[in-house]
Amino acid sequence: MRAAEIQPAMEPERFQELALAIEAELAKLIVGQQELMRSVLIALIAGGHVLLEGQPGLGKTVLVRSLGRALDLGFARVQFTPDLMPADVTGTNIVNEDDSGRRRFEFQPGPLFTNLLLADEINRATPKTQSSLLEAMQERQVTVGERTRPLPSPFFVLATQNPIELEGTYPLPEAQLDRFFFKLLVPFPNATDLAEIARRTTGVTEAELQPVASGEDLAAMSVLAREVPVAEPVMERAVNILLATHPDRPEAPEEVRRYVRWGASPRGLQTLVLGGRIRALLEGRYNLALEDVETVAAPALRHRIFLNFEADAAGVDTERVVAAVLGSRSAQRR
Amino acid sequence: MNQVRALLGQARMRLVRDRAVVWATNGGAAAAVLLLGVEVAYRRWPLDPAWPLLLAAVVAGLVMAAAGWILAWPSWQEVAQTVDLRLGGRERLTTALEFATEGGGLYVRQRDDAAAFAGAADLARLGPPQVPVKTLAAAGAAGAAALALALLPNPALQDLRQHRADAAAQAAAANQIEAIARQVAGPGKPGEDPAKRQKLAQELQQAAAAARRAPDPQTAVANLSQAQQSLGQLKDPNLGAKQDAATAAGKQLAQNPDAAKAGSALASQNLSGAASELNKLAQNVPNLTQQQQQQLAKSLSQAANAASGDQKLQSSLRQAAEALQRGDTSAAQQALQSAAQEVEAVNGEDQFQGDVNQAINGLQQAKQPLENQALSGQGQQGASSQGQGQRTQSPGQGQAQGQGQAQGQGQGRGQGQAQGRGQGQPGQSSGGNGGGGATGKPANGTEPVYVPSQAQDTGNGQNQGSQPGVQNDLVPYEQVLAQYQSSALSQVDRADIPEQQRQLVQRYFSDLSR
Repeated sequence: MRAAEIQPAMEPERFQELALAIEAELAKLIVGQQELMRSVLIALIAGGHVLLEGQPGLGKTVLVRSLGRALDLGFARVQFTPDLMPADVTGTNIVNEDDSGRRRFEFQPGPLFTNLLLADEINRATPKTQSSLLEAMQERQVTVGERTRPLPSPFFVLATQNPIELEGTYPLPEAQLDRFFFKLLVPFPNATDLAEIARRTTGVTEAELQPVASGEDLAAMSVLAREVPVAEPVMERAVNILLATHPDRPEAPEEVRRYVRWGASPRGLQTLVLGGRIRALLEGRYNLALEDVETVAAPALRHRIFLNFEADAAGVDTERVVAAVLGSRSAQRR
Repeated sequence: MNQVRALLGQARMRLVRDRAVVWATNGGAAAAVLLLGVEVAYRRWPLDPAWPLLLAAVVAGLVMAAAGWILAWPSWQEVAQTVDLRLGGRERLTTALEFATEGGGLYVRQRDDAAAFAGAADLARLGPPQVPVKTLAAAGAAGAAALALALLPNPALQDLRQHRADAAAQAAAANQIEAIARQVAGPGKPGEDPAKRQKLAQELQQAAAAARRAPDPQTAVANLSQAQQSLGQLKDPNLGAKQDAATAAGKQLAQNPDAAKAGSALASQNLSGAASELNKLAQNVPNLTQQQQQQLAKSLSQAANAASGDQKLQSSLRQAAEALQRGDTSAAQQALQSAAQEVEAVNGEDQFQGDVNQAINGLQQAKQPLENQALSGQGQQGASSQGQGQRTQSPGQGQAQGQGQAQGQGQGRGQGQAQGRGQGQPGQSSGGNGGGGATGKPANGTEPVYVPSQAQDTGNGQNQGSQPGVQNDLVPYEQVLAQYQSSALSQVDRADIPEQQRQLVQRYFSDLSR
């Protein structure tokens, strides 16, 4: 088949146009945080879930709600609390009586049955409830009783967690963390952004967001992103980055050997490559670059690297480990 | 893609040039380090000549540079990655090159994007060739160190050369001695003992082997000196006395007309002729008259009395005299023939002793280069002869014709075995030459004898006297022989010294100056 006969799923120009439109809509409500919005957008285009971590009041919920509006997607928000039950998230069968007086079980869908689910303060729910999200996040389906019901497409989970209030929280299990495409740190706004936030949120008018893209658009963007060519050296670099997170690998730098208990799973590599591909398109390029891989490395790996007690004692976090991995000579080897 | 390939082509040549610089530096550094290693190792394990190894080090550096440069020849992928990295291409060129033939999807757009980048790229931004400064500095340091080592003296190399020269000198000496041995091993002369000649050849062969095997020239010289002593022991110590006895007997016989020829031959030490004349005399005895026989008996009796140094000759002559006195011509004939045999034996021994002396002289000549070599070796090792006193060496010339061997004090300069020509009794005759010098080193009489130089006035008021321990103060004996001879002869020219002893001294110096 000739090259001219093969057309991409979406024109790259359209891809960039949609991405810019989404970011522009979000920017109406979200002040600053361009990098955060870009990362969230990358995760959504990749069809991945996002774990947002930041102090309260930084606009995490607003960001997710705004996404729902800008993308013309269904949106649901669940505030995770210790007494939240799995059925409260997935839904349950309830007894319903029809007009004829006949009673029967009917499935009452939970908030999972939406396109964009905001799992607010997910670490406050019990592990049982947290794990109810596992199947939905990975399989994009829910099993209640004997029936398995597919979730709407697209389906994204954007979970938030507060890093400073750890009392009464249940840290997410490793398996569940691995299911998040990105873990994004919501930075505190700078002075200029804070002033702008104050102006926008204390005035009379509030910006109205218009849907600029649909779920189908996101699906098409995802397909296009997967067509971005990846040169062998770039793929090798991505693999080396992932391998360097494992303390038992020769590629591992000293920080990894010393502080890391487990390195990133293969999902980390998938995230590096897919996230990098989407970033390349968003940057107006048609190939995956090392820069793309390195840029998405921190959000892709920081929640997939598990530190040991020595790291806790030394105050070493995954940010430092990822930086060491990216700076290590073995990971840079091409 | 044409723009991409054009850019990569230019970039590749640029990389090739850059790597040529790098590998030339690496090769130079390797050569310098190897040269330094060779120079260092050379001081422990010297090699002569060393230039092949040094050349090999340089060649190894060149080979390494060439091989490294060729092996580091950049592939297209490597060129693309390098240009992407240095010019900020974000892997555009690398990806386009890898998927140059892929169609559809984003590949075409990607190649167009890469081509646009290549069209705008400026290879000048690749920067100048990166010279490995550290490697260059290391090469310079190693090269300077190697040069410094090359210029500094190498004691191990000097030792090696000295050792080779020693071995060559020893081999030459051994060859020379072996040639003498072959010469000596020929048929013996009439009257001599074949076993002694065989022993002589055997001793020479052993001396040659000892010289060849010796670990150093000094040892070889010592071995040869020992061999000279061994050879000296092959000589009959009583030969001189026997010759003197023959001379004395000859003088007595020469007074008898019938035995005049035999007597004259004996007196003139023509022993071969004397033996022949004695045999003729024996044959002629029956033809002599009674009176002639009695006169001959008397002469023989006197000759027997004079030949006290040779008991056999004395006995034969006496038996002949007694037989003639009895009128037993047959017994007289037998006794005269026996005397002739004894004279012939003395003559054979004299001939053999001449060969022995020649062999000893040959050993001495073979020793001379070895001694010079040993001296040069000592000089190179910085261990000069200071403090060793005066070295005594015996030339051997002049003593080769010695007819006697004497042991005794050698000019008051040490003790040693010396060969000389003496007429005194064995072990008592004076005139033995040689002897140890100030070092007390035993010296064979055939070794060159150096004597302390005499104080000489240079005319400027300074006395250039001898200084013990300084080699330059030794002079060959020839230069002082005349002075010594004059002094000695004037000392013995006294009435209380027997004529025989005076002749002995005269003969000694005469032989020495020969």
